[in-house]
Amino acid sequence: MWIADDTLGMQGKGLTMKQVKESTNALTRRKFLKGSAVAAGAAVGSGAIGGFPTIWAQEIKDIELRHLGVSYSVVKAIGDQAAKDLGFKVTMQNLDTSAAINRFITQPNSVDIADLEGWQAKLAVKRGVLQGIEAKRIKEFDNFLPIFTKGELDGHKIPRQGISPYEALYIEKPDSTELHDGVTEWLTNVPQVYNADPIGYRPDLVGHPVTEWKELIDPKFKGKAAILDVPAIGIMDAALCFESADLIKYGNKGNMTKAEIDFTIDKLIELKKSGHFRATWTTFDQSVQLMTAGEVIIQSMWSPAVAAVRVKEIPCVYAPVNKRGDKEGYRGWCNGMGLMKHLAGKKLDAAYEYMNWYMSGWQGAFVSRYGYYSPVPSTAKKFMTPDEYTFWYEGKPGPEEVKDPYGVPMEKAGTVRDGGSFVERVTNISCWNTLMDEAAYMNKRWNDFKVA
Amino acid sequence: MSLARISDVAATGVPARRSRAIAPASGRPWTFYVLATLFTLYLLALYGPMACIYILSFQDLRGGLVFPMKGLSLHWFIDLFTQVRTGDVKGSFERSFELAIIVTVLTVVVSFLAGLGFRIRFAGDTIVFYMMIGSLVAPGLVLGIGVGLIFNAVGIDASLFTSALGAQLSWTLPFGVLVMFAVMSRFDHAWEEAARDLGASPWQTIWLVVIPVLAPGLVAVALFGFTLSYDEFARTLQTAGSLNTLPLEIWSMTLNITSPALYALGTVTTIVSFLVIGASLGTIAFIQKRREARAPGQPGGAA
Amino acid sequence: MAHSAAFKRSLAGWAYVAPLVVILIPFFVLPLIAVVAASFFETDGFGGLFPAFNLGNYTQILTSGLTFNLYYETIKFAVLTWFFSILIGFFVAYFLVFHVKNQLLALGLFLLCTVPFWTSNIIRMISWIPLLGKEGLVNEAFLKLGLIDQPLEFLLFSSFAVVVAYVHQLTIFMIVPIFHAMGRIDKCVVEAALDAGASRFDIMRLIIVPLSKSGIALGSIFVISIVMGDFFVVKVMSGGGSASVVGAFYEDISVLQYPTAAASAVLLTIILVLTVGLILSFVDIRNEITR
Repeated sequence: MWIADDTLGMQGKGLTMKQVKESTNALTRRKFLKGSAVAAGAAVGSGAIGGFPTIWAQEIKDIELRHLGVSYSVVKAIGDQAAKDLGFKVTMQNLDTSAAINRFITQPNSVDIADLEGWQAKLAVKRGVLQGIEAKRIKEFDNFLPIFTKGELDGHKIPRQGISPYEALYIEKPDSTELHDGVTEWLTNVPQVYNADPIGYRPDLVGHPVTEWKELIDPKFKGKAAILDVPAIGIMDAALCFESADLIKYGNKGNMTKAEIDFTIDKLIELKKSGHFRATWTTFDQSVQLMTAGEVIIQSMWSPAVAAVRVKEIPCVYAPVNKRGDKEGYRGWCNGMGLMKHLAGKKLDAAYEYMNWYMSGWQGAFVSRYGYYSPVPSTAKKFMTPDEYTFWYEGKPGPEEVKDPYGVPMEKAGTVRDGGSFVERVTNISCWNTLMDEAAYMNKRWNDFKVA
Repeated sequence: MSLARISDVAATGVPARRSRAIAPASGRPWTFYVLATLFTLYLLALYGPMACIYILSFQDLRGGLVFPMKGLSLHWFIDLFTQVRTGDVKGSFERSFELAIIVTVLTVVVSFLAGLGFRIRFAGDTIVFYMMIGSLVAPGLVLGIGVGLIFNAVGIDASLFTSALGAQLSWTLPFGVLVMFAVMSRFDHAWEEAARDLGASPWQTIWLVVIPVLAPGLVAVALFGFTLSYDEFARTLQTAGSLNTLPLEIWSMTLNITSPALYALGTVTTIVSFLVIGASLGTIAFIQKRREARAPGQPGGAA
Repeated sequence: MAHSAAFKRSLAGWAYVAPLVVILIPFFVLPLIAVVAASFFETDGFGGLFPAFNLGNYTQILTSGLTFNLYYETIKFAVLTWFFSILIGFFVAYFLVFHVKNQLLALGLFLLCTVPFWTSNIIRMISWIPLLGKEGLVNEAFLKLGLIDQPLEFLLFSSFAVVVAYVHQLTIFMIVPIFHAMGRIDKCVVEAALDAGASRFDIMRLIIVPLSKSGIALGSIFVISIVMGDFFVVKVMSGGGSASVVGAFYEDISVLQYPTAAASAVLLTIILVLTVGLILSFVDIRNEITR
């Protein structure tokens, strides 16, 4: 954290601020700023200290970091808090995934921190618009869950269908243009938020518990089902359904062959022609509307969307589609922060500070209250009440009413989180958001499905 | 063709007054009632869904974007102007509004000048005309990326009041110029000649004769300029720089939340537009009354 | 002499259109050149472009059944929207111009038609959902009145919903030019025709329509180019059940397939410029203002 002067809003709670206050008292009245990386650097060797100069408050104030990404990952409230704690300006900009990746590639200088999914990181690295992140300058790096750093959790190997966060994490050298399989000193991005997406359904209208993807394509839900209309991930949801119904066995759902794509799309077209899908949805908002307006009773859905339906006092359940052999499982996604190549000097230092702030817990707690997870739960825990942590991470009944990040009640006391504990959910991820090698072909076929 | 001549001459003679209508003085023809019904239905269809917006914006915390209504409160109006949860609705609204105003002004001025230009047959006029048509029909998404690439290559950061402004103008100007075509065909050159004969300079002719006569048309150009800019998505997507306009913000918000704050915004903009329109109509009525009081029998102004 | 007069005229013409040209060159012509160039390139599938100068992207598009289907869908929406917006726009303008005698009232009614347009497009579009949905107001009302016993599903997430949303958004683009074209028709002409014993139908056919055709042509250009260039309404209102030309290359762009997207964009531009040219061959709006 930045050791800031006391005009920068010290009312913030938690560890960071306490340290700030102590240090401010210890320092002279001149507004002196010092990076926490000094402390981190001291642990790993004196080299890091030289690379991290002391910065004057005045200069820090002129720095502006532009963080761009999708709205569920790049949240204004988080940016505002970061700016308050760090003393420089943070501008959060939201675009959809498609517009965002195009911005990173075609106007790399107009962004400082790129918010990337694994597949976007792969593209951005290939186009050379990112710079490698020095792992040892990320303070909490050693406390990261091994899902990210080693591709495993509690001894379970995390599946690598699609592009897993681990797969997209490392590059060999700071300017490499290919991802590297295996641990190195250089990162493409710092993971910051992730989750596991399943099916959502209306228990009152479906009438029985749903635990398998094949329910989504069951003829009894004809005209009452919906699927996600973002080709790259919609096709994976469809694949999970077809695999679950034993219609096909994929080599890699996250990187299908042309024949597999053809089979999947033809099957989708067949379903569409039979009137199975009431609609397809593109945005969170649409999926919530479909469910609350009674248009659809079962659909592939994002987990906070399920919660959003419940906030409207309409019953909705996140189906625990736990893995059964090679079938079922959640589709995982993860967003991380990448550093654009043009960052240098003080701005680069500020960017590192910003990423370290992200990992220090405030943001982790914030996204957790939304139903997502932090890659460093150990720091997020410090910013959550024990009850909150019990509910969101341990999968046990929350003794108190559960509130969302803005203090709006979400669940009554005693509710258990759908899908169970963190470990249960994450170890049941069977594939990750992706960009297939045959993406162009897949898009074309997806459009065939749309116009059919 | 001869009819067009007649109408031109007549329109010049009585530019503003619509003192006589088709209807005979005795009463309204049956077509009036049919068309009045059609017009009412059109307004109903126009405002029907808007009414849903207005009603649903008064829900409480639990409110969604569809019926049934959940509670009754001003929560989403407060949310709109205070919270950060819903994205930066207030900021993006202000930016979009400012940008739309600038686009409107430039569209009116540039379209007006281009309209004057196209009255003259000049070498290369067809090229300019079809360049404009191309700009109207070319897909904005792709052009936007192109503009972004060019700015990046030149080393200027894309931003609202440079790249986005230009990209939006490339969309609003063809509309503006084409509307000027409709408007100018109503304008008789005898007016200009008369002004010139009376010793007016070209600028005086434009300022004192052309603009007042074309004023209603310029208002239409302004109307198009504003709505097209305010709603523009495709061209702005890659040219807005690091601050979103309202459509971009709304679109990216819907990826994450579902909030009647959007509806609250619809309600607020509608109330504001009614106030503005009411005020302008009131002003026009007031001015007309005063003019009529001062010079009875004179046609009331050029609009 | 004649030479220098023509030169002077050209100079004056260019001076007037200079601001337009100055804006269109960097914001339309240059990006268009980039797009045309990209349409001949090849890609590595990861956003990288290589000059190839072959027609591969075009042959791929032109020989694909998908292209045909996409154009069919998009043209269908454009034609339906055009038809209904002309129908409504023409008569609304006619009513305001010829039937509302008080000019201030006419202006007020006209502005009333424009108020919804100050609310963002996206909001206006999604506002149809509470009205047309399965549990929406229309279905509720019909159910209560006993007109139906099952909610009508075609109201939302259908081609019907797409056309409704387009007509809702775009009729104003028809009303404005027709309103202006009609405004210049002198009522004396109409009255003279009435006195001469012309029927209403004749007046409509021989006077009103011919004299407002420039407005109709302009409105048509606006409506058709907006619908053909849009993807948003189709995406949301068809519930993803339909696709559009621009929607398809939006998906291409999202996975950085620039060359095919560029080729589709060029193709669409050519088709639309030809369409506009066709409309203008019926109504020469240029000629009407040239001195």
